[in-house]
Amino acid sequence: MGKRLLQALVASAALGVVMAHAEARTVIQVMHQGDPGWVTTYGDVAKRFEAANPDVDVELIYAPHDAYNEKFSAAVMSKQLPDVMELDAPFLANYVWSGYLQPIKPLIDKDILDDMTESNIAQGTYPIDKDLYAVGLTDSSVVLYGNRKYLEAIGARIPKGVDDAWTREEFEGYLGKLSKLEGVKWPIDTFRGYGIKTEWITYAYGPILQSAGCDLIDRKTWKSVGTLDSDPCVEALTMMQTWVKNGWVVPQSSGTNQFFAEGHPAALAFGGHWIYAEAAATMKDDIVVMPLPKFGPKGASPNGTWIWGITTASEHPDIAGKFVSFMLKDKQYRDYAREDSAYPGLKSFAADSPLYSAGGPMAVAFEQASKTAIARPPHPAYPAITSAFMGAVDEIFNGGDVKAALTAAAEKIDEDIEENDGYPPFDEQQ
Amino acid sequence: MTLQQPALPATAVARPARRRDRGRLFQEIGMLAPAVVLLTIFLVVPFLLSFWTAMTNQPLVPRPTPVRFIGLTNFLRILKDDLFWTSLWNVSRFTFWVIPVQCGLAFATALLLHQKLPFRNVFRGMFFLPAITSMVVVCVIWGTLFQYPTGPLNQILGFLSAGRIQPIDWLGDPNWAMFSIVLLSAWQAYGFQMIVYLAGLQGIPDELYDAARIDGANAFQRFWHVTMPGLRPTHVFVLVITTIQAFKLYTQVAVLTQGGPKSSTETVVHYMVRTGFEEQKLGLASAVSVILFLIVLVIALLQRQLLRRFDV
Repeated sequence: MGKRLLQALVASAALGVVMAHAEARTVIQVMHQGDPGWVTTYGDVAKRFEAANPDVDVELIYAPHDAYNEKFSAAVMSKQLPDVMELDAPFLANYVWSGYLQPIKPLIDKDILDDMTESNIAQGTYPIDKDLYAVGLTDSSVVLYGNRKYLEAIGARIPKGVDDAWTREEFEGYLGKLSKLEGVKWPIDTFRGYGIKTEWITYAYGPILQSAGCDLIDRKTWKSVGTLDSDPCVEALTMMQTWVKNGWVVPQSSGTNQFFAEGHPAALAFGGHWIYAEAAATMKDDIVVMPLPKFGPKGASPNGTWIWGITTASEHPDIAGKFVSFMLKDKQYRDYAREDSAYPGLKSFAADSPLYSAGGPMAVAFEQASKTAIARPPHPAYPAITSAFMGAVDEIFNGGDVKAALTAAAEKIDEDIEENDGYPPFDEQQ
Repeated sequence: MTLQQPALPATAVARPARRRDRGRLFQEIGMLAPAVVLLTIFLVVPFLLSFWTAMTNQPLVPRPTPVRFIGLTNFLRILKDDLFWTSLWNVSRFTFWVIPVQCGLAFATALLLHQKLPFRNVFRGMFFLPAITSMVVVCVIWGTLFQYPTGPLNQILGFLSAGRIQPIDWLGDPNWAMFSIVLLSAWQAYGFQMIVYLAGLQGIPDELYDAARIDGANAFQRFWHVTMPGLRPTHVFVLVITTIQAFKLYTQVAVLTQGGPKSSTETVVHYMVRTGFEEQKLGLASAVSVILFLIVLVIALLQRQLLRRFDV
């Protein structure tokens, strides 16, 4: 009896100690998206961080990327903002303008800040105060992949670098030839399979507009009417509509790997840097990496990716910053990123990513970043801009009237900006 | 069907009874209170709030710009938006197709499963399975079946027609996308209507069938003159429920087509979620919800009126 009582006392005392300990621990919430491999990697980073900082608990909150903004809005409304959040670079202006993110420079290790590439700094910077609000290990780009066998069969010229990119005439000529080639079911996969809600459309097809000489919105007056519905844009999207009409493009309902799937039904791929690893693994030496074609006076390529910010709601911004620094330096995290052919956003990571260094298979992507990369409009109206443009492209790819669709989208964008009084202080930026 | 209350002699309801009545009144209010309070908080207040929000430029999440009362601007903007009318047209199309397919399927299986088959309950359970499967899961599975050009459905069609039917881009072709969604929606949801019909069939007294048999009615005549009239209230219920459900079409579209291709599967609810969550215009989305409410209300009232005329 006495012994039992003693046991109970010891047990409850121990429990009390554990609980007191648990209360003393700081909890850092980290909201993120990502494919299953990345989710595992984040989980492992969190475990290592906890091991290195026994008084901190990292709580990971996963939200799939195609509903990420919806989930984030829900968190804002219920006042449950995480401490650290992954965010898609073009949405940064909207988040900072709305007051969700805090300047990250004082919170991150200095050696990381010094290590950032130009494009990485650009994607994390808010244009109004020119301050840095987010940082990432990676950036991104889109290149034109080709199947060597098919390209040789039609005698296509293979560009050596960005300055050497295919012109529109060359590109469309090859598409026509490829469409008649044995074994080619579709000349090109533009990854329509990502759907009409995943940002891919604005990210990947937006530069085609810029290459053709127009834009989603005028970046000085912040007006879309007169820009998105201008002749060069109408011409560029009419061109893409024609590819679809000719049956040159992999349809949306055929998934996202027709380029490197069994039998290689698609000859070219207008694809993100992230498919390289998987495609190269199945295609070996048959894969050719080329710069995006020039559709008009100049070349253009996309950039920007998912990066890490610290919210204004964080009660422990210093620890949140410590976590972000820890993650960006974490060796296993970098190893996984390299295996996944991640596009370097830190110089030290670029140095040990042979894929992107001079002479590496993806060197052309890195070259694009310095020569042709154009960020998506850094404006708080971006959610409205991208939503309107995605709708218009879907309409156009399915045979809708190009001019009408673009006019409607441009009007919708301007309407949103007007409704928000020009998103001050952006209205004074002209 | 009205319950006849036995009339009490007037003298019996004298003074002492009134006090008892008041006591009962408090009791009744007390019993009603929990439900009334909950319904008010979770149904009536949000409903009135959405009316109010619909007349402001309320954003989804707080913004540095002020929230203003803007009257009927939101409503006017919706009524001017072609996409809204497209979505309304699409939902009407969906409803028009899904009601015969879904209710017909439900009615046919209910008739079948009402027979004295061996293992009847096992079959009933099997036919009900899709209805208890999550719609999202059903959509993902059907999404694979619909794949173009090498999905199972296209392969089966190609095999059966010896290659004469070309593969159909079920979800990617604006002419087919809504029809594909009708197919999978009807398949997923008919179990519920089937159960309602089964209950209706069981509610028809056997004596009526016996009497009909004695009168020399054949199977079809028994069906037409006994089963059908006996099921009239069931038909009404099923029709109203299915119509209202059909007007709320959302999940299938959100998972499979996101309103595309070419807005051919855009629905009113999807339009509302898009304006509210993607474009973060809560005021505008509330206005859509108010309009949807009015439409559903009108349809429900019309249906009641029409069917009352047929003496149901």
